[in-house]
Formats: sequence, structure tokens, C-alpha cells
Amino acid sequence: MTDSRSTITRRSVLRGALFTAAAVPFGVTLASCATGGGGGDDDPTTDGGGDATEPADASNPFGIEEGSSVETVIFNGGYGVDYVEFAAEIFNEMWGGEATVEPTTEITAALQPRFVAGDPPDLVDNSGAQSMGFGAILDQLEDLTDVVDAPNLEGTPIRDTLIAPNVLDSGVYDGKLAAINYVLTVYGVWYSKSLFDANGWTAPTTWAEALELGAAAKEQGKYLFAWGKEAATYYQTLAIDSAIKQGGDEVRLALENLEEGCWSLDAVQAVFSAMKEIVDAGYVKPGGSGTFFTDAQAQWSLDQDALLYPSGSWIENEMKDNTADDFQMMGVPAFVVDDSSALPATALHSEAGEPFIVPSDAANVAGGKEILRIMLSKEAATNFAKTKLAPTVIADTVPEDGFGSTALVSQVEMLAAAGSDTFTHKFVGLYGLNQAQLVVWNAFLDGSKSVEELTSDLQAITDEARNTQEVIPVS
Amino acid sequence: MTTPVTGAGAPALRRGGRARRKARWTFDSISFFLVFLGLPLALFLLLVIWPFVQAVFYSFTNWGGFSQDFDIIGLANYQRLVNDATFKTALGNNIKLAIVVPLVVIVIAMIFATLVTVGGRGIGQTIGVKNSGFYRVVSFFPYVIPAVVSGVIFSKVFDPSNGLLNGLLPEGLRQNWLGQVSTALPSSMFVIIWGAVGFYMLLFIAAIKAIPAETFEAARLDGAGRMRTMWSITIPSIRENIQTAWIYLGIAALDAFVYMHVLNNSGGPDNSTLVMPQYLFRLAFSQNQFGYASAVGVAMAVVTLVFAGLVFTINRLTGGTTRSS
Repeated sequence: MTDSRSTITRRSVLRGALFTAAAVPFGVTLASCATGGGGGDDDPTTDGGGDATEPADASNPFGIEEGSSVETVIFNGGYGVDYVEFAAEIFNEMWGGEATVEPTTEITAALQPRFVAGDPPDLVDNSGAQSMGFGAILDQLEDLTDVVDAPNLEGTPIRDTLIAPNVLDSGVYDGKLAAINYVLTVYGVWYSKSLFDANGWTAPTTWAEALELGAAAKEQGKYLFAWGKEAATYYQTLAIDSAIKQGGDEVRLALENLEEGCWSLDAVQAVFSAMKEIVDAGYVKPGGSGTFFTDAQAQWSLDQDALLYPSGSWIENEMKDNTADDFQMMGVPAFVVDDSSALPATALHSEAGEPFIVPSDAANVAGGKEILRIMLSKEAATNFAKTKLAPTVIADTVPEDGFGSTALVSQVEMLAAAGSDTFTHKFVGLYGLNQAQLVVWNAFLDGSKSVEELTSDLQAITDEARNTQEVIPVS
Repeated sequence: MTTPVTGAGAPALRRGGRARRKARWTFDSISFFLVFLGLPLALFLLLVIWPFVQAVFYSFTNWGGFSQDFDIIGLANYQRLVNDATFKTALGNNIKLAIVVPLVVIVIAMIFATLVTVGGRGIGQTIGVKNSGFYRVVSFFPYVIPAVVSGVIFSKVFDPSNGLLNGLLPEGLRQNWLGQVSTALPSSMFVIIWGAVGFYMLLFIAAIKAIPAETFEAARLDGAGRMRTMWSITIPSIRENIQTAWIYLGIAALDAFVYMHVLNNSGGPDNSTLVMPQYLFRLAFSQNQFGYASAVGVAMAVVTLVFAGLVFTINRLTGGTTRSS
């Protein structure tokens, strides 16, 4: 009896092992792979919202129906979702409807099946590490130009209240305003004003000055830069920003359009060489390729082992609990190579983030646009700046004292100094290149890659994307 | 008492079962088959086989993942796969894992299991070393910790600046453990092994306990030492458990997604810790190439099946001789 039972057990265990052998690898692919049986109609016409009838009413530009409900799915990241709930409450008061806000951190997992089934929500904040790639959903999104042309709740056209005319360009794909990016992010190099003042240092504006500062830091046993393995490409962003400032728009367009040889342009090469000089001089804290990125950032903000850290302006909020007392975080724009740069040293990479999209197949397209219109009005935008200590794309929402934040004041100053010399680039996120590029940058910052290898590796990644994905032209 | 399996009992039982089934189709037997055979089979077909078929289908398309639109592009994804250097790197890393991890885990687990069951004093009743109950419990602790948690813990331990490991080592031996090609994969393997040993030790303990004590006593009376007992008694008696362990560990190593993703989610220095599921994940969810990712998934399934087949073959080739002797 014991014998036969143990035979069966062993058999089934082995059989189970075989089945598991076959099942495991598929589990990953298939968890979310199902277009089959959806029966979604391919008809791209909008069936909700009634925006077919041309509404002339300025208080109801999208022809919204009284009491209609709106479903929003919002990325629950550093900014939370309460700022959308703020707008949803205003919507409910105005239209007596019901606007729901569903927070999620995994936008793709939550929405991919709904896009496939043709039943997406009315408004989505497509942000975070798990956001949907725009290339994949572009033709299923509304053009939001009519939102920008609509008057805000105070009666001024939204277009006239923007912080800069080109601020929404980051949401333009193939000539279509597919996303309205709500929060303004300023990219630069961040430092502690108190530390710099105490040592009589000034923040560098050229790579040569950065090298000098590195020597001064070394005298004090400090490093110029630190990096973490998941954030090695922050240095790529810095390099691209510098190269665009040095070489002008042609550099930006070459990179954005994934052109052949784009990484070999003179301006890009000049920046890479300058960075290589800093790496070779030992001014970058070693070990970054094995350090968790927030730990590396704390080495800069808390331990102050490194003087500078290139990042977006979220860095202040991200490191809030890990910043030394009286740090006084300030930023400078990406460095230029020399005086002959195409753009002035004050030129700034500023990008509107948190892309809000309205899917064309949504049940209430007008409702989604209406929530966006409310968010872009003065009341909601000021509320955001005040509660999140970050500027939105709407102008004049931050007072002189920056609600007590030196970094916020610094951002507003950088934006003012840059004037119309602002730019952005988005090919890294658009084609999902970051993961592959991280490998290359970790090796470069480690000192184990030369400028030539860095260039050829990055070019190979760009070339592969051009050959395997549909390139969305940028001009 | 348990005796070594001869297989004689099983056919007899089966014959008897068939005879009963032919005799009458009662409500009892039909409902029994429906619940215990029909339902699992239906679920298996729906949740396992059907997704397989879909994945194979999508691997012949250029599906982006967000719409109903795609073109069937034949074998283009597979052609790309064959020439994909990153995929080959990932496959190579998986193969390294599938060789090293099972070997090390089984050897360590085997040694520990022997120690706590039959490694004790050389006279009298066959027992484990002193306090073996305590060791048995403690060695199971790592398995209780979720893979993600142990991954995070070890990523802190391996931190080059403030990590525990570098703190304990003298200056000259300090390494950037997860950040350089030479140490990244071995360090990651160590974490997987650390997490797995406890469970396989338990598996082997249970198997060794099922071996009759007389066998060990007889061997000892004949003058066999501990090594000889392990080699000639323990291992042949539990070889099927070892084979199962090898297959499970191999599959775990061919996946290894959780550990690798937590320890080095970008694939490690020079992709030295990138594994196939990570690459698949990157293709599908950050590059929206679900069609190509499905092709990678199919390739992974093939690799896993080949692995299982290899283990079975090797065991059969080596197993026959042991049994007849």
C-alpha cells in the first residue's frame, strides 16, 4: 500500500515538474496578452460626449451633459491624486455629475486590457515607470488642442495663461497634441547653496568650470558627482542637454529622430569628452553601478560626499527626508562646453510632465476634457503649486517666497532667466530606450568605457530602435 | 515498513480499477470524474494551454499590445531573435544559472540534510548531530522570507559604500559587488542559493527519514564511514528526490526574474545579470513589442523543456546502473 501510493506521488510530482517547466516561462508573457474575443469595433468615431454638435457656449465649450459621470484613472506617484480630486469636486459642483478618481501606480497593467477592449476611461494620467508608451496608443487618443483653446473658469483662454508658448510641446506627437503635461519639471544640476557659500564655490556653467570645481572638491575629500545604478542615465540627460545647448536645435532633432550618427555630432562628442575627463580624474564617486539610486542621492544630499547631482526638479521632494539640515537646494542649467554655444548658458531643459490623455473611445470624452479644463484654471493650478511645491504649466501660481522652498524659487528663477530658450527631448522615453542605455552609462561612469565605446553603444541602441519601431518624426 | 519501490503493486491496482469502472457508470463515478478530472482539465485548458496557444500566435505578429490591430509577420520575430545579441547574453546568463544554482544548492542541502539526520554519533541509534532540530528550523528561515525582500536586503548588504559586506571585509578585498562584471552574477547567484537551500534541505530530510534505519545500521555494521554511507546508501535511495529538486531548481534558475529584477533591474553591468524574463518584460512593457516578447517567451519555453528533458535523460542513463547493482 505504501509502495503504490509513493509511486503515484512520485509520478505526479515529476509530471507536475514537467508541466511547470512548460508553464513558467509563459506565465510572464500571457498574464496580459489577450486581444482575442474582445469583439471591439474598429470604428474610430467618438461615441460619447456629444461634441459633434458645435457648442458656442463659453461656459460649456465641450457640450457636456448635466449630471454626466466621468471616470479618471490617475497615476498615484510623487504628486498623489488629491489635486485631481480637487478638480473633480469642482466638476461635481458645476455639473451635478459624478467624477471618480481611481489612483493606480501601474497604469499599463490597469489600462492595457481596457484599451484593447475599446473601453478606456475618460481621463488618464499616463505617468510613472509603468506608463503606456505613446507610440502604441497614439491613434487612440483625442487631439487636445480644443482644451487649450477653450477659456478657463475665469474666462481667459487657457493658451494665454501658459507659462511659455511651447510648454505643451512635450505632449505633441506627430503634430498632434495627444497629451497635456500638467506639471512643470526643470532639469538641471543641483547643489547645496550653504555648502557652496561656506567654501566660496560658485556653481559651474561650463564643463571646464566643473572640472576645476572637481579639483577643489577632491582637496576636501569630496567628489564632484555621484550616481546610482538605476539613475545612471540622469547623466545622459545632462549630456544631451549640454549638447543641445552647445550645438543647437540640429542636435536635438538628430537625436529625437533617431538619425544615423546622431551621437557622433561634434557637440555631443565635446560633451562626452568633457565628462570622460571628469571620470578619468576620479571626480565621480566610485561604486555607483552597484549602488541603489536613492542611496547614491543621499550620498549627495545627506552625507554631502558629492557636490553636484544632475536630476529633474522632483529631486527636492524625493530626498526630503534624506537632506542635510540647512542644505538650501539650488539648481543651475546644464553646462555648456564653451562660449561659442548655440544657445546661451541660461537655456534650460524644462519639460512638462504628468501627461494627461483623453482616449477617443472613452464613454465621456467631453467630461474628460472638462476635468482637464478645470485643472488648467487658476484655482486648481494654484492649489497644486501650493500643496505640491512644484510649478504647473500655468503661469504666475508661485509667490516670491516659493512657499518656503529654495529649490522652487530657484526653478522659477531659472525659468525666468531662460525666457524662450527652453527645450525638451523625449526619444528616450518614447522608444523605451532607458533600460538599454542604463547599461552603457553605468559602464561609462565606472570608467570602463571610452568615449568611442559610449558613442557606438548608444548609436547601436538608437539604430535598433529605428529599425524595429515606427519612428514618429519630430520637427 | 516501507520497502524499496518495485512497481509491482501499481499495475495490479490499475487493473482492478479498470475492471470496476467498466462494471457500472453510476452517478457517483460520473460525478467523481467530472469534479476531479473534468474541472481541473477544463481549468488547465483555459488558463494554461489556451494562453500558450495565444502566445505562440502572437509571436508571429507585430502586436504592440494596446490595440486590436496587428499584422502577421511570419517568422520575422524569430529571425530577429536568432540575431539578437542581448537575447543571447540573457540566454547565456540563464544557462549559467541553471548549471551553477542547482548544483550548489543540492550539494549544500544534501550535506546539511545528512548532518541533521544521520550525521550524529557513530554508535547506537542513527541520529543527527547535536541540536539538529534547532539547525533544521534555522536553516529554513531564508526560505520563509519572500524573494523580493531578500533581494532588497542583499542589495543593501552588497552596497559598495555603506554595505555590510564591504564593512566586514579588509580594505583590499572590498568590491563593487553588484556593479562590476566579474562579481555581479556570482553575487546574485549567492542570494538565490541562500534563499533556496533551506527548502531543499527539508525536502532531503523528509526523503532520508523514509529510508529504513536498518539500512544505515547494516551499513555501519559492515564498517561504512559517514561519507561512504552518504554515497552508497543515502544518495541512491533518494535519487528521485534529487532529480525533482534539480528540475525545480533548474526552472527557478531559468526564470530568476524576481531576484535579478530586484538586485539589478537594468540587467547589471554590461548586461551580465540580465535574464530572459527580464528581457521579455522590458520588450513587452517598456518597449511595447508584445509580438517579439511573445517570441522570446516561446524560446524560453523551448529552453525550459530542453532542460527538463536533459535532466531526465541524464538521470535515466546514470540511474539504470545504480539500480541494477
